[in-house]
This record gives sequence, C-alpha cells and structure tokens, in this order.
Amino acid sequence: MVVVAFDNGGSTIKAGILGHPTAVDPRIVVNAVIRSKGDKATYVGHELDKCKDYSSLNYRLPVEKGYVVDWDAQKAIWDGVLSDEVLNVNPTESTLLMTEPYFNLPKIQQVYDQFIFEEYEFQAHFRSSPASLIPHGSLFGLPPPECMIIVDSGFSFTHVVPVMEGKVVWSAVKRLDVGGKLLTNQLKELVSFRQWNMMEETFIMNHVKETCCFVSQDFKKDIEICRENVKTNSIVQEYVLPDLTKSKAGRVRQPDDIALDTDQVLTMGNERFAVPEIIFRPDDIGLEQCGLAQAISASISLLPHDLQGMFWANIGLIGGNTKLTGFRDRLLSELQSLAPFGCDVVLYQSSDPTLDAYHSAIALASLPTFTSSVAVTRAEYLEYGSLAMRRKCPDWQPAPPPLREREPTTRDRDHGKESGRDRAPSGKDKKQDGTSLKRQESKGKGKAKAEQVETAPEPSRRTRVRAINPVGASSSGKRG
Amino acid sequence: MPSKRGREHHARQAHNPVAGLTSDVIAKRTKRHLDELERSNYAEHSAQVGEEDEEGKYTKGRARQLISEKRTFNIPGVKKKKSTMNVRTALLYRKNFAALLEESNLTAFPSTVPTYLTAQAPTSTYPSRLLCSVCGYWGHYKCRRCALPFCDLNCESVHAETRCERRVL
Repeated sequence: MVVVAFDNGGSTIKAGILGHPTAVDPRIVVNAVIRSKGDKATYVGHELDKCKDYSSLNYRLPVEKGYVVDWDAQKAIWDGVLSDEVLNVNPTESTLLMTEPYFNLPKIQQVYDQFIFEEYEFQAHFRSSPASLIPHGSLFGLPPPECMIIVDSGFSFTHVVPVMEGKVVWSAVKRLDVGGKLLTNQLKELVSFRQWNMMEETFIMNHVKETCCFVSQDFKKDIEICRENVKTNSIVQEYVLPDLTKSKAGRVRQPDDIALDTDQVLTMGNERFAVPEIIFRPDDIGLEQCGLAQAISASISLLPHDLQGMFWANIGLIGGNTKLTGFRDRLLSELQSLAPFGCDVVLYQSSDPTLDAYHSAIALASLPTFTSSVAVTRAEYLEYGSLAMRRKCPDWQPAPPPLREREPTTRDRDHGKESGRDRAPSGKDKKQDGTSLKRQESKGKGKAKAEQVETAPEPSRRTRVRAINPVGASSSGKRG
Repeated sequence: MPSKRGREHHARQAHNPVAGLTSDVIAKRTKRHLDELERSNYAEHSAQVGEEDEEGKYTKGRARQLISEKRTFNIPGVKKKKSTMNVRTALLYRKNFAALLEESNLTAFPSTVPTYLTAQAPTSTYPSRLLCSVCGYWGHYKCRRCALPFCDLNCESVHAETRCERRVL
C-alpha cells in the first residue's frame, strides 16, 4: 500500500511518498493559488515554478490564520500535488498521513474527513498536529525524551506545545499570533513607508525577509548602531531588487559588487532586526501578547511541578521562522533568565526546521502497523463517520467521543457538538461487539497506559490524546 | 460619533488637546492595523483570484465557477464523478475563519477545557516600548494629534506631513 505524507502548512505543503526518493527530499509546493499580473496567468500550487514575472503576485491562500477555510482553492492545490505533474499517486489505493493545525475546529476537521474519504477516496487516513508527530522523528535524538516542548513557529502563528509521553498536553499549549505572514507584511509596511512601495510584492519581500532579517541578540545595542551612522554601519545591507528583464532573483549587495545605476536598491537598516523582534516582543506593534520566551515559561508553569525541569531541558524548535539567524541564541538567552535556578535550558533544532514535521510523519508512516491499525480505513469511516477519525487521531477535541450507550450529558446537548456524532448511536451498538483493540484504545486518562501493554506492540504515543483534558462532567462513566 | 466626542472633550482640552482621541480610538486603530497585517494581499477587496475569468468577468453566487473545476489535473486512478453533497457544500460555500470560530461556540465550554481561545498567550508583563513610526529608533515623544511615537523633530515633521491626520478616525 502506498503511503503518502502531506505536511499541509499555511505557506507550503511538503509532500512525498514513503519508500520513494521524496520521502527524504519532499516536494515543496506553495499552498496558494497565485495570479500574476505580469504573466496574466493563474498558477495553482506547484505551477508557480513556471511563473516568469514575480512582481505583483496576487495570492489566494486556502489557509486563513492557520486553518483551512477555502476548500475550493485547497482542493485545486491538492489535485495538483496528487496529479502526474508532482507525485503521481492514485488516492484510491493509498493511505494518507496529513498534518493539521493545533486546536483545529471540529467543523473543519469534518470537512477534511469528507474530502479525503468521500472525494479522493483514500484507503486509509491519519491526521495529527505536527507536534504529535515529532516524537516519532529524530529531532531530539533517539530515543526521544518523555517530556518535551515543541516550539512550532510557522507562517500563520507560533505555538508552544508540551508533549508528554507522546501526547500533547492541550491545557498547557500556548499560541502567539505572530507568524511569517505577519512579519512579511510588517516588513512591507516599513519599507513602503520609508523607501519603495512594496505593498503588492509579497513574493519579493518574503525573499528579502529570509535573506536580510536576523534576530538581534541585544536590541538596544543594535538600534544604537543603526542610529549613529544611518548609511554606513555594521548592520545596514543593501538588497538589490530583482530585475525582471534580466535576472529573476534579488540579492544582497556584496562589497565587491559593481553598483549599477539602473539597480533598484532597498536599504535594510534597523528593519533587519526590528521585524523578527516582533516574535520576542509582540507589543512592539501593539499586539497584546507576551513574547515567545514568556509564553514558553507560562506554558511550562502549567505542567506538573516535578516534571518542569525535564521540559526546560528538552525544547525543540521547528517551523520556518526558527531558521532566522540568531533565533536560537536569542531564545536561549531569554529562557535562561526565565528558567528556575538550577534548571538547564537545552534547545534542539535540526538542519532544516521546515521539514521536521514532514520527516517525523514519514517515520510514523514507516511503522509496520501504520496502515493496519494506526490509520483509519475507509471502511471504518463509511461505517462510523467522522467519529472513527476522532477515536483514533490525537487531534484536539473538546470532549472525548462517547463510547457506548450515549448518556445524555447536558454539555453535549447544549453545545451541539460535532454533527458527525449523529451517527454515533448506530455505531455504538456495533462497537460493543467490535474488536477489543478499539475498545481498549478509547479508554480515558490514566487507564490508557495500562491497556496499551496488552494491545499491539507499539509505542504508547499512538493512542489518542486524552491525558490532561479535565473534561469534568462528561461521565460516560462506564470505562472498563 | 467623533463630533459628539469632540463636544464632550471640549471642556477638557487643556489636558487632552486632541479632540476625539480616547484610548478606544487608539485601540481600534491598533486593531485595524493588526488586521491589515493578517491580509494575504494588499488590495483585499479586489476580485479574488480564480473567481475572475481572464476576460475580467466577475461571477458571483451559486453559478460561481470553482477553481478546482476550472483547472483539472490528471490524477491516476481517479475518474471524473459527481462529488458528494458534503463536498459540494464545502466547495461552494466558503466561510471565513471568524465565522467558523463563532459557530464553534468555544466560549460555551467551561474554563477547564482548553480551546483555541484559551491557548492564546497571556499579555506581557513588561511595559511596551515605543518605536518611532518614521525611522524605527526609540520613540520617546508622541504626536499631539494622533499619539503615534516619533524620535526627534525631523521625524515629527515627516510624520505630520505624511501620515498623521489620516490615522485619526
């Protein structure tokens, strides 16, 4: 059975097939439908490679604030990735492993299921957040630690996700609404006000951000350096904008470059470090959230006291923004001042943080039991609906799906939860005759660990996240 | 509304020389700025990509052509078939994130249940530092009319000429 892994991000999709060269070196497809005014053409996802004119590109992103909302665009892009132009995979004979954002809304989760099973008709499917996949990979070395914090800083936002024994501790997850998109837009504004109008040039400014920006280790000092001698100081750089008639790429001017008069140049002074500073101080632009270091500290403080030291010592960085020069050192120094006395702070980062979630997904997909028991098969979906997905996938859920005879808990009714549940009653009866494997898996907190020993010989992390979700009243009490 | 505020504040002009500049005006402006930073394209209200034909026709409503139908790809093994009701609904009726969030009714959960809303990072315990809106240095002084920070007289004059009045609602 062919297994396809998709890391479906806000800016790019990283996709590949297990056992194929793309498993190591995935195809990276921009997750957008882009119209180029210069070329007068629309490019869906991977077709952007054919684009000649990168100026004034109009982006239509299916992902808004990190969550898929525009399914028309998303389907078009997925069609492109599965087609013979990219991966050339037949969904009706494949298993799909996909990532989804943290705290994915139940209504959106259902639509994912519908597209994957009803439209593409994949044979089996498994979906989880990137942080849940990391324990399968080798970011922290092998074997992975029991307690870890994943800092996932991507296009749409930044999350601090504690993972304990392979399961995400949802009550301690913290989110900062600062992502690559916000940083690029802020850079566009600064440059447009001070120099050339670049408000429409998302693609170019994104490249400027990636080449010129860095994280300052000492903001006060750097801002003074930029002040004393605005034109020539150790920080200022000149970025030569791409010339569309001659070459495509923009670049930073090197000391030995010949300066042509026809060059359009952006002078990058304090913008170089003021923009990434927003991750560490969102209040610089008026966003009332604490910086990344304080968010990590706040997240750890919500965890069990005796384990906090272990969390401080296992912090992993994934996501595109962590590639900024100086990110790691700055974060380390800020955390060291926040960590309790005697706690070591250790940060882990791989050589390409954008691909970490993807590689961990491939590692999970390589497990022999993946297609047979970890993923949800199409047959299960057709029988139980989205409920089958909720049982097996460690996504966030407001309350665990009821196992047996659905006790009318007031909360369930009042808040009209996932309508996927309306198939539950019929599913339930069948369930009771169902495999003991499934029943044991769906037990709640505390018991989860004991049962796993009896079930298939695989790591405990495979079962769903239920651990620290103190959902009080919903007492479908007959567990066990 | 601004004029009413103007009248109310007339008496207090000695303290607050700016008519109409209360803290919620500033908060609204900051919020608008932050929303702008979340945009995918600068000219958001212009016709969306994919909904507009190359000739420039703009079709709305149920007859809207889906980009996923307009641009088809050759996926091995998948034959053209009619999509299910769920899928067609999802394709045609697009809701934005705010609407979906509203519908999910996350505020109805008890405070012990973690949700997208509770996961937001807490506010900062450090006082925010103001940076000059013109050049980016420390903004020690604030504009009298619109309360944006600036660092020195040069920047103040640039600010007054270019984007001062426009910022006030």
